[in-house]
Amino acid sequence: MITLTPLRRFQFPVMAECINPDVFQGKSVAEIAALEAWEGNRKKKLGDLFKIKEDPAETPNITLTGDASEVRRVGIGMKNGEIVVNGNVGMHLGEKMSGGKITVQGDADGWAGSGMKGGLIEILGNAGDYLGSPYRGSSVGMSKGTIIVHGDVGSDVAVFMKGGVIKVHGSAGPFLGFRMRSGTVHIEKNIGNRAGACMTGGKIVVSGFMKELIPTFTIDGVKAKVKIEEKEKVSGPFYVFLGDLAENGSGKIFVSKVNNPHLGQYEKFL
Amino acid sequence: MELLIKNGFVYDPINGINGEKMDIAIKDGKIVENVREQRAKKIDASGLTVFPGGVDIHTHIAGAEVNTGRLMRPEDHIKDVVRKTAITRSGVGYSVPSTFTTGYRYSIMGYTTIMNPSMPPLEAKHTHEELNDTPMLDKASYPLLGDWWFVLEYLQKGDLTECARYVAWMMSTSKGYAIKIVNPGGLESWGFGRNVHSIDDRVPNFGITPREIMCGLAKVNKMLNLPHTIHLHTNNLGLPGNYATTLDTMRALESVATDAKPVAHITHLQFSSFAGNDWRTLRSGAEEIAKYINAHSHITFDMGQVIFTDTTTMTADGPFEYTLYQLSGHKWVNNDVETETSGGIIPMRYKRKSPVNATQWSIALELALLVDDPWKWFMTTDHPNGGPFTAYPKIIAWLISKKARIATLKKCHKKAQKKSLLPSIKRELSLYDLAIVTRAGQAKALGLKNKGHLGVDADADVAIYNLNPEKTDIARKYKIARRAFSDAAYTIKDGNIVVKDGEILQHVDGKTIWLDVQTAEQVKVDEDMKRKFKEYWTVEYENYPVTDHYLKISDPRMIKADV
Amino acid sequence: MSIVNAVTCPVCGCLCDDIELIIADGKVAQVKNGCSMCESKFLNYISEHRTKTPLIRKEGKLVSASYEEAIHKSAEILANANYPILYGWSSTDCEAQRAGVALAEEIGGVLDNTAVVCHGPSILSVQEVGIPTATLGQIRHRADLIIYWGCNPWSAHPRHLERYTAFTEGRFEGSEWKSYINKVKASAGRKKLLSLERKGVLKQRHEPHVQTVSDNKPPATLSKEGRKLIVIDVRKSMTAEMADYFIQVDPGKDYEIMLAIRALVKDQELDVDEVAGVPVEYLQELVDAMINCEFGVIFFGMGLTQSAGKFRNIDVAISLVRDLNMRTKFIIMPMRGHFNVTGANTVFTWQSGFPYAVDFSLGYPRYNPGETSVVDILLRRESDAALVVASDPVSNFPRKAVEHLVKNPLIVIDPHMNVTALVGDVVFPSAIVGIEKAGTAYRMDHVPLPLKKVVEPPDGLFSDEEILRRILAEVRCIKSQKKEVA
Repeated sequence: MITLTPLRRFQFPVMAECINPDVFQGKSVAEIAALEAWEGNRKKKLGDLFKIKEDPAETPNITLTGDASEVRRVGIGMKNGEIVVNGNVGMHLGEKMSGGKITVQGDADGWAGSGMKGGLIEILGNAGDYLGSPYRGSSVGMSKGTIIVHGDVGSDVAVFMKGGVIKVHGSAGPFLGFRMRSGTVHIEKNIGNRAGACMTGGKIVVSGFMKELIPTFTIDGVKAKVKIEEKEKVSGPFYVFLGDLAENGSGKIFVSKVNNPHLGQYEKFL
Repeated sequence: MELLIKNGFVYDPINGINGEKMDIAIKDGKIVENVREQRAKKIDASGLTVFPGGVDIHTHIAGAEVNTGRLMRPEDHIKDVVRKTAITRSGVGYSVPSTFTTGYRYSIMGYTTIMNPSMPPLEAKHTHEELNDTPMLDKASYPLLGDWWFVLEYLQKGDLTECARYVAWMMSTSKGYAIKIVNPGGLESWGFGRNVHSIDDRVPNFGITPREIMCGLAKVNKMLNLPHTIHLHTNNLGLPGNYATTLDTMRALESVATDAKPVAHITHLQFSSFAGNDWRTLRSGAEEIAKYINAHSHITFDMGQVIFTDTTTMTADGPFEYTLYQLSGHKWVNNDVETETSGGIIPMRYKRKSPVNATQWSIALELALLVDDPWKWFMTTDHPNGGPFTAYPKIIAWLISKKARIATLKKCHKKAQKKSLLPSIKRELSLYDLAIVTRAGQAKALGLKNKGHLGVDADADVAIYNLNPEKTDIARKYKIARRAFSDAAYTIKDGNIVVKDGEILQHVDGKTIWLDVQTAEQVKVDEDMKRKFKEYWTVEYENYPVTDHYLKISDPRMIKADV
Repeated sequence: MSIVNAVTCPVCGCLCDDIELIIADGKVAQVKNGCSMCESKFLNYISEHRTKTPLIRKEGKLVSASYEEAIHKSAEILANANYPILYGWSSTDCEAQRAGVALAEEIGGVLDNTAVVCHGPSILSVQEVGIPTATLGQIRHRADLIIYWGCNPWSAHPRHLERYTAFTEGRFEGSEWKSYINKVKASAGRKKLLSLERKGVLKQRHEPHVQTVSDNKPPATLSKEGRKLIVIDVRKSMTAEMADYFIQVDPGKDYEIMLAIRALVKDQELDVDEVAGVPVEYLQELVDAMINCEFGVIFFGMGLTQSAGKFRNIDVAISLVRDLNMRTKFIIMPMRGHFNVTGANTVFTWQSGFPYAVDFSLGYPRYNPGETSVVDILLRRESDAALVVASDPVSNFPRKAVEHLVKNPLIVIDPHMNVTALVGDVVFPSAIVGIEKAGTAYRMDHVPLPLKKVVEPPDGLFSDEEILRRILAEVRCIKSQKKEVA
């Protein structure tokens, strides 16, 4: 296992896509220290920015300790292996990864798991905006894999999602599941506004409070339980809303009946 | 500055040179008879192929449309970033590269002259500003005139002479090079969301037909003695069965041809050669089109080759781009330009496993290979519509090698394989023919007398490739040819070595070529424009022209018109 | 005394180019055809707020310096910075913007322009859904339905209606001036009658309820021939007073209402009776007007880009217009503010591939608003130097962002001692583009127009372009010296 500790507090953004089990694989500490990383507009070596230690434990492959909130692109595109971050981590964590596991003890910044193709990301703190969502202009969303966030998530989560699962124990910001195509998102607490806007497929499950529903969703029924993934069902009962009608969509939003009495007004359409 | 390229295999079709081992002498930016060997800088081109610098007759690389394409595709740019070096500017590439990158990449492939085919005259300053920032190349741009209200009004009245005078005014005012016509009549119709569907449909509010616009402007082109013919994007582009419209178009133009010289250039002909009734029954109309072109001499065309990749379509054909949006649902830009023209942009992915795309791929090659005379057709992708210009070496491989074509065909959808004519076509282009369709023929069609050849007085624009025609059977070893044409051994621009082994050695600016068309009654036309201007446009007459300030290096060609 | 015609006004995105100036004694004496902002700029360019010489902060105070000294100091700051930002650009010419891109690239900094606090969201949504649009002349010639949503041209783009939309003469549509004047007369007449009734001078009449603009109820005029003007906003602006129909929307609910309209355009039925304070049956009439027009246009501004939802508001507006193109001809256009903010986006895009928030720190252009946008960089306290040209961020950025901006070396290039210059470390005075310097600017619909030089700049003053080129040359010098030493 390689342990990386930032040598100082980083003011400038640190681009460190080399922090990736596939890249470290088979390299000595000296070789790892010589890998290219950037701090602001200066090209550096990884060893200039981090203290690098090796110890005999097999897993996780990489441990990042200290304040890595300015360290970006960790685990980008990784296919195997495990990264553990013992604090906060910067943007683009695990972007486009297709396998392996990343665990963050603290918070993750924006674009974590963007365009994920497989693997697992677990964030014990909060995640920022654009969790699992693609880059500007791209319509290729998360297609496979699992993201679990114990805290809250920001806005524009699961945009263009087309597969995989996102589970949030806390609350979510606005525009969750924008343009969602397939896949499942479960928010255990509350959800911001405009959830499911322009959705064409997929499932959003809200166990907590949802203040309002956008006008282009229509009530489809009431369900006692809903499946999140294999071997995981959540108990409702849930109001089931179908939409987004503006896109002729057939996405579904499951909202807890008990926690959302104000949505009872839709019952008359059943 | 003197330069001597020694001992290369020279291909100079305009001067009939076919692989002869000879020296090329350069002095002060021009090809000369000879230079003093001791004084000159020398390039040892033994075992290398020497071509005139590449000429691209149709590539969308500058202007409002292209730039909106750049703006809307950040996800395309991040796939291909270009780092700054001590000599070159940074940028992004792939289907809509930034301007510096465009210039560098063309130069690396041995190109030295390119034509930007779509310039809305109201936004001509924008086109020229971008051309100024496109290094390494000489360039020109074609103003869009086929739906310009002045043209529609004068042709409707039947007044060819006045129409010609105004076209001349516009050519010089926008600093353009040729008359560009796109879906004539369709763009004005699109101003209210409509389109034309045949060359005899009447354009709403103007009453004129596409046939009248095309023939009228082809006649105007002759009256003005313009160096290129009209440059035409046909009606019904991209629709199954449209080869019939293309045949109608070519037949209509027969009346304008009074000698054996071309009167029209049909661009990206692949998109206009579809037979069949709908997308399911789509098949190639290349055979019928090629047969017609073989039997006539008034048409030239360029291929519009499709490449299997993710690219961006952008044309002035607003209604067509909207159709693509209806078919694909992708993000879509439309931009109509007052009084003049239209435009649309939409990303497009061409897939081998799509029977339609694979048939399109085959059509362009069929057109090229079935037309006997290589002086009648030119290699393009209609960049970026069919694919990025950086894919040109792939097309070269398909043209010179049946093996290469069939290898790609075998990966296509079975339906397309069955319909394709390629298995029955044996022709493989020689290097001589290749030099015609990628430079000599293009320069000739454009009327650029100093380009596309290596005779005395030509501009010293030369491309030297790592290809030994004596040692390499290009039809069998097409991969070697493809690599050779991707990274030039040397590119020489105006006598300066600007590329060596696929690397830029120096950042140079090229010239902007434009036509200064002299007509009689010029003052009267100016006065008339001044008076009418505000009825047509929302800018002042004084602020409309492209002034010299907008051309970094101006290269005007004086043209004396017959009106 | 001389008259200069066809002058392009360097104030707002309308970029009116029909201004006539009378020059006397080397100064602008009179302005014709311009709105009040135009007149103000052309008549007040000589003011006490003009910075007269370059200034450098020494021991806490700004003191006079030469251009050479200031350029050298700026170049040193920028060449040595680890993550500098270069911001502003929207009130200068394209020639200066080009120099800016070269400088940002050379120093590996982040190049951003005022769109980041303005129409950046519009750009973001174009990147997601595209945009059906046109040049302003198309509207003048063809539009019979004009909608202003979340913007107030009466104040922000005063000549917009008379030059490009409801009050212009086009080839296919005429001006609606007359009907507006009649409406004003009628409403003035009504107000007078009501006041006389209140005073008891007139007996109370029983007048049928005259619909007022804030009723939200669709008027009969929605189906008239000729141009129709609709304003949709959270409050009744001056532009709304001129409209045939004003719809008042609950603040922060534009997204919902546009989504509902989209569904209605697609003939879907809604489960709700009212959206954002507007009854669905009124929305249905609005949709009918939209579908039945010959050529419709939606103009939008900060009401949509800077309210909750931001770029998704524009996304849904553009998607709506896209949907409308199935039924009729419809376009949409952002009301760009600064006279050359469009130019900045245009120049940045063709040279780097990206329109704003362009980060050159890795040696190639990178773009990711939220990460590479200057406001966010300042909020995260990442930058260590800044160059501000042709804008005033200290007066309009969030406070925390300004704190970080001021804490680090700040170079300012501007004709005036604006708030940002007051807290700068190196301040350059420059010539005013469009009055004292010629150049190019792009109108809100991307049409490029030349800017004129009509008077000489104050003695010894350089232009933005000149200052930037000199700083760039000096930076290159410093960097090559560093390389030699290394």
